[in-house]
Amino acid sequence: MTILAFDTSGPFVSVALATDGRVISESFAEMARGQAEALMPMIADLMAEAGIRRSDIAAVAVGTGPGNFTGLRIAVSAARGLALALGRPALGVSGFEALVEDVSGLCLASLPAPREQVYLQMLRDGQPEGEAWLSGLDDITAEPTPDVVIGHTADRIAACLGTSGAPAELVRPAAAIARIATRKLAVSAEHPRPAPLYVRPADAAPSRDGAPVILP
Amino acid sequence: MSDPITILGIETSCDDTAAAVLRDAGQGPEILSNRVAGQAELHAAFGGVVPEIAARAHAERVDLVIEAALEEAGVQLSGIDAIAVTAGPGLIGGVLAGVMAAKAIGFAAAKPVIAVNHLAGHALTPRLTDGLAYPYLVLLVSGGHCQFLRVDGPDSFTRLGGTIDDAPGEAFDKAARLLGLPQPGGPSVERAARNGDPTRFDLPRPLVDRPGLDLSFSGLKTAILRARDGLVTAQGGLREADVADLSASFQQAVADVLTEKSRRALAGQTGLSGFAVAGGVAANNQLRSGLQSVAEEAGVPFVAPPLALCTDNGAMIAYAGLELHRLGRRDGPAFPARPRWPLDAAAVPILGSGKKGAKA
Repeated sequence: MTILAFDTSGPFVSVALATDGRVISESFAEMARGQAEALMPMIADLMAEAGIRRSDIAAVAVGTGPGNFTGLRIAVSAARGLALALGRPALGVSGFEALVEDVSGLCLASLPAPREQVYLQMLRDGQPEGEAWLSGLDDITAEPTPDVVIGHTADRIAACLGTSGAPAELVRPAAAIARIATRKLAVSAEHPRPAPLYVRPADAAPSRDGAPVILP
Repeated sequence: MSDPITILGIETSCDDTAAAVLRDAGQGPEILSNRVAGQAELHAAFGGVVPEIAARAHAERVDLVIEAALEEAGVQLSGIDAIAVTAGPGLIGGVLAGVMAAKAIGFAAAKPVIAVNHLAGHALTPRLTDGLAYPYLVLLVSGGHCQFLRVDGPDSFTRLGGTIDDAPGEAFDKAARLLGLPQPGGPSVERAARNGDPTRFDLPRPLVDRPGLDLSFSGLKTAILRARDGLVTAQGGLREADVADLSASFQQAVADVLTEKSRRALAGQTGLSGFAVAGGVAANNQLRSGLQSVAEEAGVPFVAPPLALCTDNGAMIAYAGLELHRLGRRDGPAFPARPRWPLDAAAVPILGSGKKGAKA
């Protein structure tokens, strides 16, 4: 069973192919912009090099973030389009899951967010518990206290929480996404269509034009 | 005449997620399905389209709408000859969602993808609905655009003039907000105007006193704000009759400007097969009748497509794709989504002329 995985949640395109849970091929390119142009050619090239045909793809796995909003939508829209045309499922894997792929116990995962903030998510044995949230670095609380904090500025967050920390960043996430998706598919064949994990609500202010008083 | 051809069209450039299947078996284009998922309810509280909210909705809907369009048409991807997708101009987050879905489907189903200019979709609609022959004049008038285009072919457009600031649809939305009417503003202002006196408020007709075909609507927005505030100050609010009269006066001003500029546009052209209107504001009945009369004066047929094909839709993109496909146009997997993409690349920019280039 071959899974195609990709992620454009940061300033990069990461693509991987995994057969029976083992990554057989991957590619990675750093890019601040141009992911929408580069993604499909990179997928096509990787499949051609690995000798994987379209009909070999059993599922499409996509990194859902959190991260760059536009990047999340590029990957998710492509994954949904591929799933539609291949007649195969698409499933989402978050950056938190990819970051703490093999960590057991209760873990707080941290990913960088704009303006000196972090996206946080509790996971138990790699499974998300509760909702992800956005936090400044100085006012982080987590209940219950995790066994370990892993990810962006993990040392500082761990010191705050009185636990141990292991700084890490998400690198070439597609490989981990492919492996995690393989395990998810082994548990269940049915998955909701992937959707970006924005964590932050859309930035929108109500209209400044107040409606007038309507007189009788 | 030519081989039967079937095109999947995808449109996500503003606040409608749309997909359609179009077939031409030699007897002219036939719309097999035309699905639109609007977002009015998502933007209602904000008094206008919020780009980030629109982009979020498109990314999670575009595949569902495409599936629905294929199913309604009874066509499988294997029966599609090409995928046409709006690649701009528009809100880039939404355009990207449609473009990525189209590229992914094109790759997975081994079908060519054709990048379509959203404005070309609108401008070619009179050919889809009425088979209008080239060349013709079209007034494209919507929430985001307002321009006169001479259309000589599926990739041959000459912009004769256009708005130097806002689009009329946007002005209708603003007027509705100022008058406490619901969004979108076009239909609600038109409804309120039915019982109104269009002569009560002397609103300006911007740029009508100047030669040429450029238009402006921002001053009209300010004028209706002033008129409203005058009433609110004098009487503490608006009566229903005030709302009706303001709506009617505003609508009359927009229709007068567009009608007069259309008269001039037609006078400057020869050999036209017709005059058409396209875009969401083409739904306005007062505008339609004004444009109809100038077409009659000029002695050319007037074409106003049905409402569902005036507002954003996938069928117009599929149709533009069909014409481009016949010209041999195919776009590889690396074409960009373009927030700015003027149809007439040779025209001097009148909007967004900064370092990023012309908007439309």
